[in-house]
Amino acid sequence: MIKKIHSYLKTIWPEFHKHKQNVHLESFYTFTDYWHLWVMSIFILAVTALAPLGFVTLIHYQLIQQSVDSELNLRTEQLTSSTKSSVSFFMEERLNALIFTVNEMGYDQLTKMDGLAEILKNLKLGFGGLSDLSVIDTDGNQVAYAGPFNLEGKNYKNQPWFSESLKRTNFVSEVFTGYRDVPHMIIAVRSIKPDGSFFILRATLDTERLIQTLSSHKTGTHTDIFLVDHEGVLQTPSENYGQIFTRTKLTFPTDQTQTKVIMDKHQKNSPIISAHCFISTHIVSTPFVLVVQKKKAAMMHVWLEMRRNINWTVGISIVLILLVITFASTFMINRLYLIDKTKAETMLQMEQSQQLISIGQLAAGVAHEINNPLAVINQTAGYVKDLFSFTDEPQKAEDIIEHIDSILDATDRCGTITRQLLGFVRQFDIQIKRTCLKNLITDVLSFHKKEAEYRGISVGVSVPDTFPDMETDSGKLQQILVNLINNAFQALDDGCCLDISASQITPKMIKLIIQDTGCGIPEKNLNKIHEPFFSTKQDQMGTGLGLSITYGLVKKLGGNISVQSTEGVGTCFTITLPIKIQEGKLA
Amino acid sequence: MKNIEKMKHTDILIIDDEIKFAAMLSKRIQLRGYHSEICHDGKTALGWLKTHGTAVTLILLDLQLPDMYGTQVLTQIKMSHPDIPVIILTGHGTEQDRQECEQLGAYLFIHKPLDIDQLMTLLEKIRETS
Repeated sequence: MIKKIHSYLKTIWPEFHKHKQNVHLESFYTFTDYWHLWVMSIFILAVTALAPLGFVTLIHYQLIQQSVDSELNLRTEQLTSSTKSSVSFFMEERLNALIFTVNEMGYDQLTKMDGLAEILKNLKLGFGGLSDLSVIDTDGNQVAYAGPFNLEGKNYKNQPWFSESLKRTNFVSEVFTGYRDVPHMIIAVRSIKPDGSFFILRATLDTERLIQTLSSHKTGTHTDIFLVDHEGVLQTPSENYGQIFTRTKLTFPTDQTQTKVIMDKHQKNSPIISAHCFISTHIVSTPFVLVVQKKKAAMMHVWLEMRRNINWTVGISIVLILLVITFASTFMINRLYLIDKTKAETMLQMEQSQQLISIGQLAAGVAHEINNPLAVINQTAGYVKDLFSFTDEPQKAEDIIEHIDSILDATDRCGTITRQLLGFVRQFDIQIKRTCLKNLITDVLSFHKKEAEYRGISVGVSVPDTFPDMETDSGKLQQILVNLINNAFQALDDGCCLDISASQITPKMIKLIIQDTGCGIPEKNLNKIHEPFFSTKQDQMGTGLGLSITYGLVKKLGGNISVQSTEGVGTCFTITLPIKIQEGKLA
Repeated sequence: MKNIEKMKHTDILIIDDEIKFAAMLSKRIQLRGYHSEICHDGKTALGWLKTHGTAVTLILLDLQLPDMYGTQVLTQIKMSHPDIPVIILTGHGTEQDRQECEQLGAYLFIHKPLDIDQLMTLLEKIRETS
């Protein structure tokens, strides 16, 4: 099983990951760093594919967040409004009962013995939440009292609530401890005695009942509903802020009448939604502010569940996209590599074939050049032998020496040619060395010397004496010259001209111009001449590789080649080359 | 000269631009009792043939001449003197050249260097047939 997986992985493992450098092939590759290409391809595709996904997910997140926040705000606002209605109703109901009692009974009835106790009993039965009832005159003296505390005869003149009660017809106090030392609040109704002076009917409200009313609106354990006064002092116990009368940092603008919902942070830094509104009845305003606080985290489980689902979906999508991109990129880059590799191998074969063709062309020239002096040697030696075989007369030494000199001259000619040939063959080795361009041109032209003579082709070479020696791969440079000069000879009609000139154009560059007055290249073919296998030569004389290889060789030497040609006028190849090639550039 | 008295009145025309080669060949032919004439280019050879053509038994023709191609000279010789055998003597003739020359009526196509004995055998054979 493991072996199977291993062999499968081996087949899908991309070829370019196994690429080994080959100095002969490397220069023919279109791309050099396939690893980089692969990484860049994955990166670009991943960014293109994942950026919109990320963007859409972010927008989706925000929309859901806003929607959830809005929903939570609405719910909190509704809860606050309903609680406010309950609390307002609680106070208004009891205040109305007091107003009714005052108007119905009047001062005399209220201050009659046991009259007040009977009323308290009925009120408790009817409404509940009242702990005692008392009648107080304008001087603060408690005229009558009914309730469980022993408060008869108490004077409230100096109590803040009493002075406030005198100023208004109806009054609701804050929660305070007072004489009984128990948290309570009072509601009071001012009325007029038969003698025209004021008196106050006061009822004490049980805070427990109020707290129960608030608690009945709690939904879940994460909701805190409580009352504070305008200064932020707790009027009922709070889960978040503590016991009654604790001072909080909550502050409220006094002109606020609507329910206000805000996002806040609790002291434990957990986000909360806080809503508040002022409690007021139709009859009187109260000092209470209702505060409803909900811990956001507790209300967010739906959103968190949704976010988890989104995260999973997005995460799986990203992994799938990355997998697909990686596989697609690997496949494409691998195909590209294989095509490039095949091309490089073909180009190398072409270059080697072209070298063989060059050698073949040279061989023809060499055979001609050597055969002629050999024929002279053959005939002269034969003649000297004949002199002794066919005549009896003694031969003059000077005559014999003259013939032997002719033989020696001819052997010298052969020697020169073989030396040139040997030098030429050595140039096929890859090596950078000092090269004299003029000598190289002369060597190459020497193989065309006879042809030029017979065909009346005038060959001009113009290289200034100051022209520097080049440090380059002389084999490649020679092959460039052979290809271009061979081409020129094939294009030239008898009696035409071939001019080869070289000059130094910058301290680092030289220019070589090979210009002929041959048939020229038609304009439509000018763009194609460097393409492999493009040939206009008939009867399979040309392989179509010469100029393509030449173009590649010039590039390898770090140079450029351009061609200008007019059909029927001639062709001019201009090559620029560095005087000193950079080591790393050559392969 | 051993054979000078046996000079056979046979003219051999050598058309070759290689001066030394042509001179030596000519001398060796003469040593063997034949007349020989040298021309170094095509036009001179064709001009000489106009006046002396009737005496010529054999022509040795190089393919690469300074003024004309050997095949052009061969064509003109065959037009003016179709009976004179022409042996092509070349330094680096290709198979294509051989076929072309044979089509144009060349007697033989020989690569340099030339074996003089082979030439003499051929010459005797030509004389006998003519």
